[in-house]
Amino acid sequence: MKLCSDLLDADSRTFDDAPFDTISYELCSRRSDVIMVSADLSKYTQMHSLKKKLPDQHLEVGMAEQNLISVAAGVSKAGYIPIATTFACYATRRAYDQMLICMGTSPLTNIVIGFTPGIANPARIHHQAAEDLGMIRAIPGATVIDPMDVTEFDQALNTAVDTPGLVYMRGHRGNTPRLLDPAAYTFQLGKTYQLRAGKGIGILSTGHATQWALEASAKLEHRDVEHSLLHVPTIKPVNEDEIAEFCFAHDQVVTIENHQIVTGLGSLVAEIVSDIGRGPRITRLGIPNRWAPGGTLPYIRKQLKLDADQLADQIVDVL
Amino acid sequence: MRPNDRAGSNLMRRQELELLAAKIRRNVLDICMQRGGYAGQGVALADIAACLYFDELRDDTKGWFHDRFVLSNGHDAIMCYGALAEHGSYTMEELRTYNADGTKVDQSPIEGQLGFEITAGSLGQGPSQAAGIAYGERLKGSDKRVYCLFSDGELQEGNVWEAAMFASHHQLSNLVYIIDNNDLGATGSTTDTLGVEPVPEKFEAFGFAARRINGNNIEEILNAFDEARQIHDKPYVLICDTRLFVGIDCLRAVLPMAHYVAAKDADWEAGLTEINAKITSLTNRL
Ligand SMILES: Cc1ncc(C[n+]2csc(CCOP(=O)(O)OP(=O)(O)O)c2C)c(N)n1
Ligand SMILES: [Mg+2]
Repeated sequence: MKLCSDLLDADSRTFDDAPFDTISYELCSRRSDVIMVSADLSKYTQMHSLKKKLPDQHLEVGMAEQNLISVAAGVSKAGYIPIATTFACYATRRAYDQMLICMGTSPLTNIVIGFTPGIANPARIHHQAAEDLGMIRAIPGATVIDPMDVTEFDQALNTAVDTPGLVYMRGHRGNTPRLLDPAAYTFQLGKTYQLRAGKGIGILSTGHATQWALEASAKLEHRDVEHSLLHVPTIKPVNEDEIAEFCFAHDQVVTIENHQIVTGLGSLVAEIVSDIGRGPRITRLGIPNRWAPGGTLPYIRKQLKLDADQLADQIVDVL
Repeated sequence: MRPNDRAGSNLMRRQELELLAAKIRRNVLDICMQRGGYAGQGVALADIAACLYFDELRDDTKGWFHDRFVLSNGHDAIMCYGALAEHGSYTMEELRTYNADGTKVDQSPIEGQLGFEITAGSLGQGPSQAAGIAYGERLKGSDKRVYCLFSDGELQEGNVWEAAMFASHHQLSNLVYIIDNNDLGATGSTTDTLGVEPVPEKFEAFGFAARRINGNNIEEILNAFDEARQIHDKPYVLICDTRLFVGIDCLRAVLPMAHYVAAKDADWEAGLTEINAKITSLTNRL
């Protein structure tokens, strides 16, 4: 079974070493009403060119995340589109009430980007954000996006600036692969993307974990295990019909996420399927509800059985 | 040299602490040169660490400390590691696993790791917890004093000022805040990102006794700790002006603003040579 044509084939994949440098600068060049707000992490989210070339569209609040979110919300009330940027853990855990109150109850566009989400940070617990998607999807009316790569991150952000209300999205930084072909792929809010069509086991994944799912998918293909793969970048407002249709077309469903299996994509899919009833069994793979280790990403994935081989093993085990 | 050994002349006491500070600096380099780390802060804070661990914190007679130390600025754990190696509570072998996969020596430790009372990588949460500890110790009738180290970057967090208001309202004179005021955050100078000065005046306005010192002058550090113990109606804040890598000139010259350091091998080696020569001369002086 062939992979979706929006995906670059393995040899044409490129790596971006500072994706948000370009994304933030290009967006602000195009839209003079956008203001990027940072909390002493602009160097680590890689907003270099913007600060140099468009300093009026960068606002620094210092290491103060509650202030970051509230000041950004204020900026939106003065007619601008703020994009508050920090690590996912601080954006959500440190300033959840500010996000819910100052942005969540406002009709104005307020964007928050959480970088190094899930286990994409080596410093355990305090720098990792295993619960951000669940926290923000609990806010009524919020939009929550977990892009799989740089192409989708870029397009989703460009969509977010025209989306009313609170938009929370996860960011990519550092040396990160581009898997979706920008010339072929179009991000649409709420749409799901079938990256691999097939029978057998239905795999759903989101965000960075879709990269892991693709790696596992290659292993499964090698092992002749029939499966299909649905990428779900928009966690909220979720496309319940597309998810239900995909799940009910398979006897076994597996979800993969760079997030706790409690409250994240796995929970979301289980909610949708159980609302209908008599659905397939759902196996949730991701960060368990215990503290993840720190260290390099390959090390953490291995410890949590989220590396390609162990993911494939667990997927085969559901049969 | 043992912790809390106040015998001997002031000069002896100072010279011994200077030697300990040099050894802490060497340990910091040894640890960070393995896989990178917060070497600049560890080196700069060595004088404060020597005075705190080997003079100010009283011994509990069981090999640990009677008084309580709360590290708020998680990544300054490297300072603690440098000192706790001299104290004998960690081996250098253990500490050299810093920043390795599977290590038990976190760059920003989690509550319960030996020497660390709180989980401190999400910055700005130490001052309140230290104030709560100080409040609880006083309520119990204990004479324990509580010391909390935090940074100029953390001064940008509102939580710190909520703590300050609480500590002074409750006249927590058993509480000492120590600030690493190095004009540096993650992105660069705090003066540029969000100015924190004037720090002493801000704390005085909040009801603290405040003292600003050169954080690399052992005599000034000891005098400030002595002064803090004489104050009985308010909390004390010690604002330590420091700069990254003070005490190792060759590294200070090449990495003046490196919040996190992955230096070249040659730079680490040069730093080690410089600090080892210093240790030899300080040892000979005693
Ligand atoms: C709540 C929180 N926000 C952001 C960060 C990311 N961060 C890590 S260190 C740092 C700079 C803090 O300044 P300071 O402690 O003064 O840095 P130093 O002088 O020790 O280099 C930031 C913003 C964090 N660890 N915690
Ligand atoms: Mg600092």
